[in-house]
Amino acid sequence: MMLTLPRRESLWGLAFVSPWILGAMVFTLLPMGASFVISLTNFDPRYPDAVHSVGLANYQRLLTDPLVLQSLGVTLKFALVMLPLTLGVSLGLAMLVNNPQLVGRNIFRTLFYMPTQIPIVATTLIWQGVLNLHTGWLNYVLGVFGIAGPDWLNSTLWVYPGLSLISLWGTGTMMLIALAGLQSVPTELYEAARIDGAGRWAQFRNVTIPMVSPVLFYNLIIALIGTFQYFTQAYVLTNGRGDPDNATLFFNLNLYREGWRYYDMGYAATLAWLLFVIVLALTVVLFRTRSRWVYEGAAR
Amino acid sequence: MKRNDWRTRITLGIAALLVAGACTPQAATPSPDATARPTGALITAQPSSAGGLTSDGKILVRWFVGLGTGGNPEQLGAESAAVAKCNAADGPCTKANIKLALEVYQNDVAYDTLATQIATRNAPDIIGPIGVRALNGFGDQLLDLSKYVQAKTLDTAGIEKNLVDTYIVNGKQIGIPYAVYPSYMYYNKALFKEAGLKEPPHKVGDKYTLPNGSQVDWNWDTVAQIAKILTVDSKGNDATKAGFDPKNIAQFGFDFQWTDPRGWATAIGGSGSAVAADGKTAQWPDNWKKAMQWYYDRLWKDHTAPTQDYITALAGGNTFQSGKVAMDFVHTWYTCCVYPGDNTTPVKDWDIAVAPIALDGKITAKLHADTMGILSSTLHADAAALAMNFIMTQPEIVVTYGAMPAKAADRKAFFDALDKKFEKLDPTKVDWQVASSMLSYTESVNHEANMPNFLKSDAAIKQLQSDMLTNGALNIETRLGDLVKSLQGTFGGS
Repeated sequence: MMLTLPRRESLWGLAFVSPWILGAMVFTLLPMGASFVISLTNFDPRYPDAVHSVGLANYQRLLTDPLVLQSLGVTLKFALVMLPLTLGVSLGLAMLVNNPQLVGRNIFRTLFYMPTQIPIVATTLIWQGVLNLHTGWLNYVLGVFGIAGPDWLNSTLWVYPGLSLISLWGTGTMMLIALAGLQSVPTELYEAARIDGAGRWAQFRNVTIPMVSPVLFYNLIIALIGTFQYFTQAYVLTNGRGDPDNATLFFNLNLYREGWRYYDMGYAATLAWLLFVIVLALTVVLFRTRSRWVYEGAAR
Repeated sequence: MKRNDWRTRITLGIAALLVAGACTPQAATPSPDATARPTGALITAQPSSAGGLTSDGKILVRWFVGLGTGGNPEQLGAESAAVAKCNAADGPCTKANIKLALEVYQNDVAYDTLATQIATRNAPDIIGPIGVRALNGFGDQLLDLSKYVQAKTLDTAGIEKNLVDTYIVNGKQIGIPYAVYPSYMYYNKALFKEAGLKEPPHKVGDKYTLPNGSQVDWNWDTVAQIAKILTVDSKGNDATKAGFDPKNIAQFGFDFQWTDPRGWATAIGGSGSAVAADGKTAQWPDNWKKAMQWYYDRLWKDHTAPTQDYITALAGGNTFQSGKVAMDFVHTWYTCCVYPGDNTTPVKDWDIAVAPIALDGKITAKLHADTMGILSSTLHADAAALAMNFIMTQPEIVVTYGAMPAKAADRKAFFDALDKKFEKLDPTKVDWQVASSMLSYTESVNHEANMPNFLKSDAAIKQLQSDMLTNGALNIETRLGDLVKSLQGTFGGS
């Protein structure tokens, strides 16, 4: 029997993606299903014989648990500071290392990217020292200029800028993606803009931003998901307690505490599902509004 | 057509192989070089087990280490040697047809690992050493050892009865005391000398002589008084001077290393409990309230004890070893980490003094204790008891754990070993009789005692600790009221 070309191509395609599809089913869909089942139970790994169904009790508990709202608030507050900052800084760095007048561009690209290669725990511990109220060099430098540095890690106000500084250290990957976007902008567009009398700011606003908006959109989605999954830095800095005064009790940290500190796996699974729904909803909203602010060429 | 078909089949076959390879669990490979494993992971391999038997038909007894001390790489040698001794041809394990297997985990992953093993019905037989806090997390999973104590399979001769009884919970003997760690005051002799202060007393009842020559009780008010003289800013002003700068402190009077508010409250305020006598009502006794206020004043009013920022900056939290803390109220296990321990800076000139009289008028040397236990899920309880007794009677292990033996007769050897470890100390040996004497002044309710919904209740208390160390604007009375409300909520199970 002779297979048609589209049929053969389909089979080849399926053959190549089948490891991923099966892997996703076994390692993602199956655990997701299991976590949903667990969310309907009182599962505590220390008492496997005592597990039983609790119906929707864990979901009802979400509505009355003040830490759920608090941890969501912490995550959203951090997102408000972090997302614009990381998007702006990564784009700014990308423009910097894309500038043909910059001497040693490749060296700078490497230098800005290198911090992403350092394990997050090591980075966080180093920054813990840098941001120390009394002995950190950041406050030391501020002191040289007569500025009394804040308590970056123990103030409910300053802890967010403090954590943002730590996160900026790892924007190398976003910078590279933005750099790729910048390099794909046709130079003719800038030439045309200059002929039309556009200055540097007008070129940036009317040419660069629209042309790299698909890349910014991608970075935004990744950063948003990353913010909702934010955990390691907060855990390392506060030993998982969410100090100061729960100001770093991120949603994922709260989830971790319920599951792995208190062994309340049923409720932790419920929190995981809430996180999934929130991130999914935000991603859907971003995709739905995409056509309003992301330039997609002729297809727009 | 034929050619395309075989290509498709080969590609599908490779894809299937890739998936099968990815989905097949890795077989455990015993490693003779145990120390080569990364930290945090299983350090020694689990022998294959079916029905609690090894492949050659021996009774497999698994010993799980990491819930207390024992997970440090330098301790692995003694643990492995003890296991090898038991499994030797003429060893007690071999004679009883037992194969003893060691599983060592880093402390930070040990709890989760054990919980996972229990959940997957792959639990070990023996766990330990474990402290009181860990016991509260897994205590109801432990086997009643009474019959083994009565049959003398587990040797408790020479252990004070009150210590053995500590581990009778709900009528079950869930553990055998293995090591005790009384607390007392470590002090930096050089800093006392530099400040022109007399050293604190080594005998209960001895007075302390202040710089003006007056003799006063060795209590926490005296500690507060001399701590001000011992706390110095970067310009050399001590905390009694008007020009003292609390934002630039170079040296502190005292610290409590590695304990929590129940530990602070017990040492400063005396015995107490966060649980009322009915076992379900949350409380924070008056002597503990005073203790919290006392300590908070030292943190934020006198600035004689380091707050969190300073603690982090001082030798990564091992504050006494920074050489910038004059007194440190810690347990015997701190001999693990005081000079000449690994990666410590040389604070050579130190000694120990008795616990100050608490605010309730009694000396209270809060106690830590380690035990060994057998999980009730064991398939071979008799064999596990025999192996556990062997482990608990190996002197090399006691020494490597820095554990003061629960058996009084074994303590001299322990202190001799410590003397050898600290023989470089100058000019005199550490006065270990202080440690022994403090065993007579332990609290009436252990400061790490069980509470309803223990893990959450303990977390609520740890939150108070964070708040006190990081927030200088607390109203302690209000905060303690909030804590009691929070505890009452967790006691109820929410």
